Amino acid sequence: MTNIPLKNIFLVFLKIGSFSFGGVYSMLTFFERELVEKNKWLTHDEYIESVAIGQMTPGPPIINTGICIGYKLKKIRGALTTTVGQVFTGTVLAILLAIFYIKTRGNVLLVSIMKGVGAAVVGLLLSIVYKMAKKTIKDYKTALFALSAFSALAIFKLNPIGIILSAGVLGLLVYGRKTR
Amino acid sequence: MILLKFCWILIVVNALTIGGGYVMLPMLQKEFVEKYHWLTNQEFLDAIAFGQVTPGPLTVMNAFIGYKIFGLIGAISAMISSYLPCIIIVTLVAKYYYTYRESIIVNSSFQGIKPAVIGLLAAVAISLGNTSLVDPITFGIAIISFAVIAFTKVDPTFVIIGAGVIGALFL
Repeated sequence: MTNIPLKNIFLVFLKIGSFSFGGVYSMLTFFERELVEKNKWLTHDEYIESVAIGQMTPGPPIINTGICIGYKLKKIRGALTTTVGQVFTGTVLAILLAIFYIKTRGNVLLVSIMKGVGAAVVGLLLSIVYKMAKKTIKDYKTALFALSAFSALAIFKLNPIGIILSAGVLGLLVYGRKTR
Repeated sequence: MILLKFCWILIVVNALTIGGGYVMLPMLQKEFVEKYHWLTNQEFLDAIAFGQVTPGPLTVMNAFIGYKIFGLIGAISAMISSYLPCIIIVTLVAKYYYTYRESIIVNSSFQGIKPAVIGLLAAVAISLGNTSLVDPITFGIAIISFAVIAFTKVDPTFVIIGAGVIGALFL
């Protein structure tokens, strides 16, 4: 526990959350500059550990890294502060967009814009699939996991929650004995 | 009651979002679009786009969805439900980091989940593509977006805004 005021933690994470467009890696550099270099709230090692925890826990890795840092600084109050700080700007903007979206429903120009945007989102998702596959699919086992999950959803229309849980159980059966 | 159902779905989905923020999309599409019909595929696509162009994680799209279905209370509940599991899990893991990192159960189950979610995301991309790729221009936008994001370092936010401009001009 440190004696850094919660307000300061909130403001730094508000800044991180407000300027965090897109890429995870630019975000992580931003984190390190603000927290390790400028404010010296964390050592480099503590920061690296927080990033690792952020990536090995369920949920958005960046938010989880922030939660972990908040917890290291101020226990549960710190964790809540960093979460609210990081998502505040995005949430307010999302609500404003929702209000605008509902009010302008049926507007011809907006329908056209969203048609273009929708097509780009499909391209974006495919590029995420491509990037994740490049990192994760390394042998026939991982390929089989990916293909089975794909067919379970695309062909058999099973529930993705059930598919993820089953993949976890199967992972335990397949890899459980080998991992030391 | 419907709001509680909505919150419960978000809690479960976020607790199972393993391997990156996009992993929640197949689960959300199944629950919100196909099972409960709270959104259409097009509205779901719009929500993803808004989650992408707003600062912060993609999860912010849940505030948009919450507002669209239930108003302000929906947006706030959506954010609480999305981050509650993260806060609980991360603080526990931070406390027991070494036990967790070495845990065979966690590591081996994640080893199965990580490739599986790629298959799920691919299936959702195709399902959403059926809604949004309807003519040569939309196909072109999707292919160019894919190539730009996959092979360059351009921020997806700019790609989405660019696609909106093309949509305004040609669609």
